[in-house]
Amino acid sequence: MKNIMLACSAGMSTSLLVSKMEEKAAEKGIEVNIWAVAQDKVVKEVENADVLLIGPQMRFMKKKYTVVAEEHGIPLDVIDPIAYGRVDGEAVLNKALELMGN
Amino acid sequence: MNSKFMNFLENMLLPIADKLNNNRYLSALRDGFMVALPLIIFGSIFVVIANFPFLDKMISEEAFTAYQNALGPASAATLSIMGVFVMIGIGYKLTEHYGGEAIYGGVVALAAFLIMTPQVLDGVSGVIPTSVLGAEGMFLGIFTAFISAELYRYFVKKDWTIKMPAGVPGAVSRSFSALIPITLTLTVFLLIRIIFSYTGFETVQNFIYSVIQQPLTVLGSGLPATIVAVLLIQVFWFFGLHGQIIINSVFDPIWYALNDQNLSAFQAGTELPNIITKQFIDSFLVGMGGSGMTLAVIILIFMIGKSRQLKELGKLGAPAGLFNVNEPIIFGLPIIMNPLIIIPWLVAPVVITLITYFAMYTGMVPPPAGVIVPWTTPPILNGFLATGNAWQGGVLQAFNLLVVIVIWWPFLKILDKNYYETERNEAK
Repeated sequence: MKNIMLACSAGMSTSLLVSKMEEKAAEKGIEVNIWAVAQDKVVKEVENADVLLIGPQMRFMKKKYTVVAEEHGIPLDVIDPIAYGRVDGEAVLNKALELMGN
Repeated sequence: MNSKFMNFLENMLLPIADKLNNNRYLSALRDGFMVALPLIIFGSIFVVIANFPFLDKMISEEAFTAYQNALGPASAATLSIMGVFVMIGIGYKLTEHYGGEAIYGGVVALAAFLIMTPQVLDGVSGVIPTSVLGAEGMFLGIFTAFISAELYRYFVKKDWTIKMPAGVPGAVSRSFSALIPITLTLTVFLLIRIIFSYTGFETVQNFIYSVIQQPLTVLGSGLPATIVAVLLIQVFWFFGLHGQIIINSVFDPIWYALNDQNLSAFQAGTELPNIITKQFIDSFLVGMGGSGMTLAVIILIFMIGKSRQLKELGKLGAPAGLFNVNEPIIFGLPIIMNPLIIIPWLVAPVVITLITYFAMYTGMVPPPAGVIVPWTTPPILNGFLATGNAWQGGVLQAFNLLVVIVIWWPFLKILDKNYYETERNEAK
């Protein structure tokens, strides 16, 4: 099971992505656990994640989250704005898998 | 627009966003308000229920008063004294940030605030006026929470402990570990209170209120400051940065204080003092499909969109947009870095601010009643609730939506045409 955590301001817009990513993962037969959190919950929930993806509108949090992610030894990145706008579950899922080294 | 210039702007804005959002005080402040939010919304729900439209005309005056009195404590215990929860939240979050015992940070902030609060009202002692726990004490509460968390951390770090003789259980000595820092922290605040009692201000409350809060809220309640804030939000979003969350961390104390003043007046049945409030921004500028009022853009796409790209975006963005989540539109249209779109993107919110302000100033629409409406509430209902169940609030939002559609029309038309032609050329 791969745990993918998405973060944005309130966890609203990233939760749109979650369902699209889950659909794609199911199609590909990959077992994943994907969830979206608000920006203030990242530190608390990071221990359950294998990868952290940040909504592009919150990319100014990357520096802070990098410290947190490094502590837990997980990769992180900012979601591509175009994929974000299209709510492109496949692209973001691929990105997450790539970051986790698959 | 010159891409070098755009890069320059982005490189300038990103560090600002980073500083504002990652500043430990501002982020404790924002998280502190987040702590209070569920309670504030609970109170707001019951203010809305207590003031159902036409209810006062349907039942006897006596029954209506009894009805309102029965529901009163819901908001009196939450919304009206929100400062309490905000300061506990700030003290907690800041102490947590420093890796200390967060719960102590929260309660010490509250105790410090109460120490500095006048405990007398109209000659009656042994009371804490609830007004100072709401809007009036907001700024003092915020500063107190910052300072008390800092002092607490400082004294904890000093690690002055009481040496216990050998044989005293470890748990006993540890129980003193919080005692000394808390005692010292609160003593400082007691001294501050005593010192202020010898000044012309008499209380710290009065000092902070008249020297900082009053001038700042007066400034913040004016149109110029509001338009600057609104424009900044739009500019940040234009570069794909969450403008609302960045600007809120600076303006929230002012906007919430103004909001609470209106709530007191609304519940007392007197004239509402402010137009610009937290809910003015949240309902009339954000609560119309999200920052930039993009529900209008979605409607416009359905009306005139020909290109496949925009039509698909409309379908994708509509369900979320109805609940004021608009990232798909902002990143998908795209609004970010789009030199054509920057014009309606900046103009429309300013026009809507002016229209809404004017409508409330002239009394056509009642100003926000001080309730906090969850920001995901769909437009029209949102405006209705924000203005204390006034239908005029809903109508104003509908009218504003039309205005935004008109402003966007020519620009979206051009964008749609470009996309449409590109698609046709690709198909060839």
